[in-house]
Amino acid sequence: MLLYVVTYDIPCDRRRKKVSDLLEGYGQRVQYSVFECVLTTNKYWELRQRLRKKVKKDEDSVRFYPLSGHTLPKVEVWGGLPVVQIPGSVIV
Amino acid sequence: MRSLYVSQQGCYLHLRHEMVVIKRGETILDEVQLPLLEQILIFGKSQITTQVIRTCLQRDIPIAYLSRMGYCYGRILPIERGYRYLSRYQQQLSATERLIVAREIVQAKLRNSRVILLRQQRRRSSEITALAIQSLEYLVSQAAQANTVEKLMGLEGAGAASYFSAFGECLTGAGFTFMGRSRRPPGNPVNAMLSFGYQVLWNHILSLIELQGLDPYHACLHQGSERHAALASDLVEEFRAPIIDSLVLYLVNKMVMNPNEDFDYHNGGCYLNDIGRKKLLRAFLQRMEEKHKTEHGDDQPRWDLLTQQIKAFKQFVYSPALGYKPYLIR
Repeated sequence: MLLYVVTYDIPCDRRRKKVSDLLEGYGQRVQYSVFECVLTTNKYWELRQRLRKKVKKDEDSVRFYPLSGHTLPKVEVWGGLPVVQIPGSVIV
Repeated sequence: MRSLYVSQQGCYLHLRHEMVVIKRGETILDEVQLPLLEQILIFGKSQITTQVIRTCLQRDIPIAYLSRMGYCYGRILPIERGYRYLSRYQQQLSATERLIVAREIVQAKLRNSRVILLRQQRRRSSEITALAIQSLEYLVSQAAQANTVEKLMGLEGAGAASYFSAFGECLTGAGFTFMGRSRRPPGNPVNAMLSFGYQVLWNHILSLIELQGLDPYHACLHQGSERHAALASDLVEEFRAPIIDSLVLYLVNKMVMNPNEDFDYHNGGCYLNDIGRKKLLRAFLQRMEEKHKTEHGDDQPRWDLLTQQIKAFKQFVYSPALGYKPYLIR
């Protein structure tokens, strides 16, 4: 499991909505176009593959920053949501 | 990864992009990220839309339908999943491999029973309990050397006998006397609670075995038959004392249960009535929802403990040389 910071800059409303809907499934929105996702390698590859189909590389920009366990505790947060945690089970 | 347990009645699950939205009437109870889900368990009467079902099938997320008591009616699995390969490996396990695991399971059961008695001994010491602790210790060492499954079953029986003789000593709630285990039918309130508790736990384990795609009819310790899901009986052993026995101890000693009002006597036995069953189930679910630390250091509900063990058994089926490590309480 690694924490990935995914950011995007997409001018087209339609594509931006699709990308953000997809990312909502994998992580937590921490700023308008910044997501934090805790993912296994498999899930990360799945996310990349699915995102790839929604993004136009010549117009859009998407960035993935993996955070190592070394730098993770050094993350500073000023305001907004706390850093995303490993997802657990849910009982309703 | 995570499981979704829907234990409330009358919920409605639908899909919104990558999220499963759980609604009851107009209120949204929760939203769960579908890509991070591993399995969905529906207890009782809740609805799932076809869209959710279809997406779960595409993403290889099994859905299990259970009764409120935890009996598994069946499950929804993608067409390419299910027993088949795994079950073939399971059938190919050699007698020696199965014996080694059976040994581990019996030892774990005896050890866990011993720890429960040790904890009670610290609270309120008695000679009978001290004796039972000693004999359980001895039986663990015997079980480590047992060379047939029959011998193991014998040791397990001997362990249960001395354990339950001391178990009665630990029950301090007024109106609950317990001399020994009786079942089919259970003879008194404590036996009724134990029988019902074991049954609920057994059903949960069977459902989880189904979800993991193992064949429940091939086991190591118990003899399977067409009707007896022996693997559930195998895997329930290590959890009996830590989950059900300690729950019964708590319910009796904290006077949660009422010996006169929560039980019915019929067919020559003692059974929990509606009120009693609800009390026990509520306490059971609460206990299963309590968080505990896993080896990876994250907090998970106790449910995941069961799933972990079933996955461990699956690992054993894939590579028997590595063996199976049962659950041990500290």
